[in-house]
Amino acid sequence: MSAIASRPAATLARAAAAFALSLGFWVAFARPYENLLALAAERVLRATESPSVTRLEAREGEILVDRADFPPAAPRPGLPAADLHFNFVLLVALFALDRHPLRPERVAALLAAAVLLFLVHVAALVVQVRSVYAASLGEWSSARYGSFWRQLWTGAFHFYQIAGRFAAPFAIWWPFRTARDEDGSPVRARTRRRAAG
Amino acid sequence: MAAPPASPGTSPRRGSFAFLARFAGFLVLFYLLVALRPINDHVIVPFTAGIARASGALLRTLGEPVSVEGTEIRSSSFAVQIENGCNGLETILLFVSAVLAFPAAARWRAAGLLVGFASIEAFNLLRVASLVWVGGHRPALFSSFHTILWQSLVVLFGVLLFLFWAARAGSRARRAEAVR
Repeated sequence: MSAIASRPAATLARAAAAFALSLGFWVAFARPYENLLALAAERVLRATESPSVTRLEAREGEILVDRADFPPAAPRPGLPAADLHFNFVLLVALFALDRHPLRPERVAALLAAAVLLFLVHVAALVVQVRSVYAASLGEWSSARYGSFWRQLWTGAFHFYQIAGRFAAPFAIWWPFRTARDEDGSPVRARTRRRAAG
Repeated sequence: MAAPPASPGTSPRRGSFAFLARFAGFLVLFYLLVALRPINDHVIVPFTAGIARASGALLRTLGEPVSVEGTEIRSSSFAVQIENGCNGLETILLFVSAVLAFPAAARWRAAGLLVGFASIEAFNLLRVASLVWVGGHRPALFSSFHTILWQSLVVLFGVLLFLFWAARAGSRARRAEAVR
């Protein structure tokens, strides 16, 4: 039986402590993380556009979107950064459900999962910038994006906002659950004996 | 954590990825459903207005004078509009997709969906009521409470609920398999 079912109080206490700790960690490192995120997403955007003109800059909780072909006086869209990546806190809390979350192999698994979540954040930021290009810049958007692409980019980002950003930590954590929870549980052992008898 | 009960000849790892594939499929399907304009207008918006009324009633019971109009809750110094993301829908989508993707008996699924839905919405009611209170009394904290703290807590609550249900449903399924 899993830790949450066999020792709910201890498991919940671990998850709550991990939630609080990771929240502190997240607050402390959000700014440098947003710089890294902006840099990585900018690379992806520039590699997939022609001409390569997008520039992303993390500033005061926002990712500012700039393009070399924007009119100099036009305001630059700012995207709220915390919405993209606060789900890191959720990922850490899920790893803390393990009975021994501080064992080296579990910490390594958490680091691997955090790298995967970073890739999700980069993809989400790229999609968000594309959705801004496709739908939020008035005539500039209409001139460059048809109805299909507008729907696709805005729909993809809306999916991330409503479901994806919450599902991502869960889906990434799920394959990393510990093997001892997969089999050899007390319930299974008891049922085998009962079945044999 | 709760492992999907693997059918004979299926490795746990393969069962795990099969669960994830089903989960992703249900999530996209339900997202597309709730994104449809008629469903949004005739189901989601009235449901959200119901949450606003319930939260308003809870706040008034706790001595907080608020009024509710549609999906908006107003106090003397603060007003909040409840939208998708604040109505618990994102956690419900996650929970329902996970329960349907997990191999379990239909009766267990039905019970899980009913209890899960009620529990998540009850927890979400606390979120909305507390956010209105924070917005009125500690406005500087509202953004952090709204975007980070409560969203994560409600989703974590939904995930823990699913894991608890899955541990019970999974062990029952394995027990039935062993007896057979």
